[in-house]
This record gives sequence, C-alpha cells and structure tokens, in this order.
Amino acid sequence: MGRRRDARLGLKQGNAVTALVEGIFQALVAGLLIGAIYGIMCVGLGLIFGVMRVINFAQGDFMMLGMYAAFYCFTAFGVGAVFGTTWGPFVSILAAGPILALVGYVVHRLLISRVSGTRTASLEGEGHHAQLVLTLGIALVLQNGGLMAFGSVLASIRTPLSSSAWELGPFLDMSVFVNKARGIDALMAVAIMAGLALLISRSRLGKQLRAAADNSVAATYMGIDVDRAHRIAFALGTGITAIAGGLLATNYPFHPFVGVDYVIVMYAGVVLGGMGSIVGAFWGGMTIGLVQQMSTLILPTQLQNAAIFVVFLLIVFFRPQGFFGRNVERT
Amino acid sequence: MLTIDALSAGYSAVPVLKGVSIRVQAGQFVAIVGPNGAGKTTLFKSISGIVTPSAGSITFEGADLLALPPSRRPHLGIAHVPEGRQVFPSLSVMENLEMGAVTEAGRRDWRANIERIFEWLPVLAERRDQLAGTLSGGQQQMLAIGRGLASSPKLLMLDEPSMGLSPAIADFIFERLIDIRKQSGLTILLVEQRVAEALESADHGYVLEAGRVVLEGNNQSLRADDRVRQAYLGM
Ligand SMILES: Nc1ncnc2c1ncn2[C@@H]1O[C@H](COP(=O)(O)OP(=O)(O)OP(=O)(O)O)[C@@H](O)[C@H]1O
Ligand SMILES: [Mg+2]
Repeated sequence: MGRRRDARLGLKQGNAVTALVEGIFQALVAGLLIGAIYGIMCVGLGLIFGVMRVINFAQGDFMMLGMYAAFYCFTAFGVGAVFGTTWGPFVSILAAGPILALVGYVVHRLLISRVSGTRTASLEGEGHHAQLVLTLGIALVLQNGGLMAFGSVLASIRTPLSSSAWELGPFLDMSVFVNKARGIDALMAVAIMAGLALLISRSRLGKQLRAAADNSVAATYMGIDVDRAHRIAFALGTGITAIAGGLLATNYPFHPFVGVDYVIVMYAGVVLGGMGSIVGAFWGGMTIGLVQQMSTLILPTQLQNAAIFVVFLLIVFFRPQGFFGRNVERT
Repeated sequence: MLTIDALSAGYSAVPVLKGVSIRVQAGQFVAIVGPNGAGKTTLFKSISGIVTPSAGSITFEGADLLALPPSRRPHLGIAHVPEGRQVFPSLSVMENLEMGAVTEAGRRDWRANIERIFEWLPVLAERRDQLAGTLSGGQQQMLAIGRGLASSPKLLMLDEPSMGLSPAIADFIFERLIDIRKQSGLTILLVEQRVAEALESADHGYVLEAGRVVLEGNNQSLRADDRVRQAYLGM
C-alpha cells in the first residue's frame, strides 16, 4: 500500500521537475528571441554614440516612427497587397529601415550637425549640453507630432505567423514552442547584425567610421570627411533601430509614446556592452532580453523592468567598463 | 610649393601666430624650431584646417588652402603626421595605414606604397594585425609616419616625431626620415625640439618664437648664427 503511494508521489514530482525545466527552456528561448531584437535596437543607439559621442535621447521615438513606417507600408502603401499578409509585414519592416535612415540623415543634416561633429570639436562641455537639449526636444516633437498624426489608438503589425508556433522537441518528454513570427523576427535581427558587423569591420566605409570614432581630428588629417561619417552613422543607427521597432511590432501593439518604454532597454544595453562598442551593444541588448524573460519565472510581469535595472546595476558595479569595454585608451 | 604669408591664428581670442611667413619649395627639407608654446603646432593645424586663421594666406601649389574644407586638403598631397602620433588605437596597424590611403593618390599607389613603407619601417609589417593602441610609443610614431606616407603625399609635415621617445629610438626615427627623404625625394616640413639634428639635415630653417619668425636661413647660416648657437645648440 505504502509503496504504491510512494511511486505515485515520485511520478508527480517527476512531472513537476519536467514542467519546471520546460519552463526554464521556454523562458530561455523567449529571451534569446526578444534579445536579438533588443540587440539591434541597442546597436542603433550604440553606433550613433560610438561614432559621434552624441547621446541621442530621441532614439526611442525614431523607433516609434519606424513602427509606424512599417505599419503604413503594410496597410496603406501596398506592400501588404503585393506580398500578402504572411510576408508583407516583414517586407514592410525591412522597408522601414531605409525610410528612417533617410529621416535620420535629414535630421542630422538640418539639426544634429549644428551641435555636434567638427563644429563643436573645440567646445567640449558646452557642445554636450546643446546636444542634450536638442535631442530631448526632438523626442518631444516626435512624440506629440506622432500623437497628432497617428492618434492614440494602439496599432500593431500582425501576421498569421504571430499566432502560430513551431514545436522544438520533444527531448526527454519536454518540448519548447517558438512563436513563428518571433522566430523570423530574431533571424532577421541576427542577419542584420551580421551584415552590420561585416560592414563595420571590413568595408572601407566601416573602417572610416571607426577611425572617425577613435580620433576625429586625426581622421580629418587623413582626408576623411568626419561630418559625413557622422551623418552616415546617424542614418544607419536610426534605420537599424527602426527595423528593431518594426520587428517588435509583430508581437507588441504600439502607440506614439512607445519609445519611452524602450529607452531604458536601449541605454542599459549600450552601457552593458561597453559604451562605444557596437558588437557589445548587441550582446548588451541580448542580455537585457534574457534577464527580462528569465525573470518572469520568479517575478510577476510588472517587475520585469525592475529586474533589468537590478542586473544592470550589478553589472555596472562589478564591471563598469561593460562586457566589451576597451582597455585601450582613446587618444 | 607651400607658401604661408603673414598668417595670424589662435584659439578663441588668444592670438598665437602673429604674421608668420614661411615658404617651402618642392624637394626641400625645411625645419621649424622654437621653444614650447611658440605656435609650431598651431601653424600645422592652420595648414590642415583644424585652426582657422584670422588673417593671412596659405597656398599649396597655387591653390588657396583656406578656401578648402579641412578634409579636402590631404587630397591635394599634404600629409600631416601630428604631434603626439594620434594613431587610431582601436584599428589594426594595417587599417591605420589604409586610413592614410584614403586619398585618391594613396588608393592608386597602395601596393607600391605599402611595400616601401614595410621596407623602411619593418616593424609595421611584423605587427600589421596588432591594434595600434597596444604599440609602444616608438612603434606608434613609425605607424604615424607610415600612415602619412601611405597617402602618396607631395609634402610630408611632421610635428615633433621625437616627442616622448628615448634618445635611441628618436635617433632611429630620425635616420629613417633621412633615408626616406633620400630615396623618395619627398618635400618635408619638420617641427622639432631636437634643434641640432633638425638643422643639420634640413636645407632651410625657421626659428619661431612667441608666434613670430625671429630668424630664418639656410643650413649653414643658421648653424653659424650666434643666437641659434647660444639658445638652441648650447654652444
Ligand atoms: N586648443 C587650445 N586652446 C587654447 N589654447 C591653446 C590650444 N592649443 C594650444 N594653445 C596655446 O597656444 C600656444 C601655442 O601652442 P602650440 O601647441 O602651437 O605650441 P608649440 O610651439 O607646438 O609648442 P610645443 O613645443 O610645446 O609643442 C600655447 O600657449 C598654448 O598654450
Ligand atoms: Mg607642438
């Protein structure tokens, strides 16, 4: 009698363990998927900071514009009609990249270039104050302009893939489900990161951007147009963050103030990665995604952002230069 | 080749150069010497466009340099090897050299240039994949010179290439420069604190003090000048 009860208990415990492990894996996969998107979101900000030494407080709002650009490409500008409801959203999201890159290019040319780059090379501190005020101002204008233009109704870029999943496994009675839209989002994010990493490390343009970041005066001595390098970095950074926004929008509804929700993730990711390291910013974003999703195992959802902050503070406390911080001094 | 005429320049209301005139002819080796703070680096920065002069003119092969944006000037054939080396620390040695070759001429002559640069400064070939920020001071100076040469310049401007280096390494770099000049016939404008060495190998020299040219002349006349002998050569 007693024996049978023990066996039943054992089976029950086994199920609980399986469920727990399954939950951990599920959270891990969810973290990796969202982390890849956070990764390129941070890379956009990190690229701008790394090359220009400008902290762009409007980055979240450029991301919001990217979401709406993808949304309107899909719904109004015919991408949905041409590519269908399944793939149309992804094509629209990719299109949001160059659209916002162009917006970034123009905003840099008209506004940011007035308070950054070679013009302010001699100003030191004063230049930074002007940058802070300007990018905060742009953020406010974009948020409120967005409210006027797009309204406050939640929008989203849904694809049928958002509500279906691949099943990985079963391994040892466990299986993990991957939302198809999120899976494709993550693959696209990783592909964009790989492309950007190649561009930065190998291409002539990438090397010039890094040289301008290292020492803008010496870059000028080489014949590199540093203001142009900054314009390109700003455009690229804006476009990449815009794509990240579009990818998020396949699973999360958005509104004109959505940028504010993500700036914390962006800054935390860039600092974690080591200010100025582009690959580092990606891993910083990835870390944030993992922490956020893993924290759901033990914390209520409302505390996810608190978990991000705690881990952020811990890492900054123990490794203030970030994961990828350089030990090589900048000259 | 390079004509600087009555140039005045400074930093936000602090005048540094007060009517400096300097002439460098094609093929010449011209040295500028003078005490700390005389304005030698400010002069170089004015040529490169980092400092905007308040008066005077700079022409290079007939072109008005001051009318050109700073980043266009290297493309005319002016290489600036700056004070304190200023290599790109997070770029490899090879990438630093590639940045030198951003100019049209540098791109065209890349293969031939890199071969010669490695011949003159073999340490750069040995360390081609190392990050420039991890090189020693002397190696960084050689890289800064190599980077300048990679642009296929007509005029090579060097601002205190011996700064902060041990005498042995400074000597070595100086000898390399003499060799490079002999083999390439390059026009050189050199700023140096090592007055004896600079005046010995230069064709023509200028003494800059407190923002003014106080003395100029050819190799022999300068070295024979009592003031130079006293103030700079310690004789
Ligand atoms: N960025 C700057 N802002 C303000 N003043 C400067 C700046 N750079 C140099 N100065 C001042 O200008 C004067 C000339 O400096 P410069 O660097 O041209 O001298 P130098 O002849 O190159 O001296 P050194 O032999 O020490 O290199 C100095 O009094 C210096 O303090
Ligand atoms: Mg100097």
